[in-house]
Amino acid sequence: MALGTRLGRAALAVWLLLPLVPLVLWAAADRWTAPAVLPQAWGTAGLRDAVDSGAGTASLRSTVLGLVVAALATPLGAMAGRALAGSGVPAGGAVLAALLSPLVLPPFAVALGLDVLLLRLRVPASVGVVLLLTVAALPYTTVLMRTAYAAHDPGFEEEARTLGATARRAVLAVQLPMLAPALAGAAFLAFLVGWSDYVVTLLVGGGQLVTLPLLVASAASSVGNEAQVAVLSLGSVLPPLALLVAVGLLGRRR
Amino acid sequence: MTPRRRAVLLVLPALVPVAAVVGAALVSAVLLSLGLTPLVGRPELSLDAWRAAAGDLGTATRLSLGIAAASTVLAAAVGLALALAATAAVRRSRLLGALAALTIPVPHLVGAAAMGLLLADTGVLARWLGVSPDAWPSLVGGPWWVAVVAEYAWKESAFVALVVGGVLASRARSYGETAALLGAGRWARFRFVTLPLAAPALGGASAVTFVYTLGSYEVAALLGRPYPEPLPVMAVRLAGSIDLAVRPQAAAVAVTTAVLALAVVLLALRALRRLSAWH
Repeated sequence: MALGTRLGRAALAVWLLLPLVPLVLWAAADRWTAPAVLPQAWGTAGLRDAVDSGAGTASLRSTVLGLVVAALATPLGAMAGRALAGSGVPAGGAVLAALLSPLVLPPFAVALGLDVLLLRLRVPASVGVVLLLTVAALPYTTVLMRTAYAAHDPGFEEEARTLGATARRAVLAVQLPMLAPALAGAAFLAFLVGWSDYVVTLLVGGGQLVTLPLLVASAASSVGNEAQVAVLSLGSVLPPLALLVAVGLLGRRR
Repeated sequence: MTPRRRAVLLVLPALVPVAAVVGAALVSAVLLSLGLTPLVGRPELSLDAWRAAAGDLGTATRLSLGIAAASTVLAAAVGLALALAATAAVRRSRLLGALAALTIPVPHLVGAAAMGLLLADTGVLARWLGVSPDAWPSLVGGPWWVAVVAEYAWKESAFVALVVGGVLASRARSYGETAALLGAGRWARFRFVTLPLAAPALGGASAVTFVYTLGSYEVAALLGRPYPEPLPVMAVRLAGSIDLAVRPQAAAVAVTTAVLALAVVLLALRALRRLSAWH
């Protein structure tokens, strides 16, 4: 490989990795005063501060929020994706465009617009957050499942029907297992929308729903607690990353 | 049940909440910005909120467009380079592909926190380079929004790499081999095979990046400066103000951002259609 190519690739690897290095170093630093190049004392002070700031309950809340959004957006997206993969939906292009509109509109604008309305209708804050995040996740699940259904061969279900399976059983025993990888991917994306949302939870949650991203933001906006910021940040990256790697490994073994 | 009826019934449970939320949010924001649904006082059609916000709205719009443009250009260039390295016919870099894929689930908020730790005047980079905080350029909260643009460019370059890499992996290799057999050199293969094949995906991913950056709040809120503000930061500040009378101004900013995002998407779709028709 030419030297230029090698240097270029090294630069690209540095580009992708460099921003994450401070997180790892700071997360394990008890004391790191400038201008030292590495922490002077290693330890778990950051972890302790993060736990003291309520990281445990916050990550539990984030997990539940992600799971609820995934549980709502995955089946709805699968149904819509299935319908849109065929030609039965009238004005299918317009319907798809409408379903994709949450990708175009800034989340803060939707949240600000709806916030007042939700308050007037006395919708509980957490219900409002779930509603908005489910709508934000639907474009991803719909598009992913539409692609999956378009590539899916309905011949297998017809075979099952010919062999005497009911329509319900053909879907449950044949169609859904064959689409399991796509469903898992859609659920993962929807989970991420709920797990990592900040601005909708901030604006619509009204401070009652303190999730992990809210802790990250409040810690990162003040100075002097770098270790805590790093631990909270890693805490919000590692669980989905582990999930992604696990799903990837499982998928490879099948 | 007819297939058509079945298809409609399948699509409605997703369509109804999306249409209701998006429609209600937009209508509510427009009405609020026009003074028709004030939180306090009598409803009255007026452009007061728009007039009050006008000056800052212009600055914020220019700033938002500038940040989005700079981030998108950087993300597209680095993302294309990553995609090329990850799908090269000879010595394909699996490592870069994997690193880009692992960057995708990192939330922008965490990216912003990380960039702060890296680029601030007491940050890790300043320590590594042995520059004292006084001599370090103000990348975080500075006049050029360096840390903000760096965060968007970093995260979105991985996204561009994934989208463009997907297209190149499935199509470019065989075309490239054919062109090489026909005697095309490296540059000719890049210019006449790879780039035209990647262009629609690159354009699409860039448009998504631009629109996302335009409407995203947390990165500029954490790494930016107090004034001037980009549109989302201005809107959220006004909306959180104790003075309920400025709520309509927040709505005006939200409407402006939504209209801008919509316009960008429509322009991008038109350009992309021309791009794919041209092939």
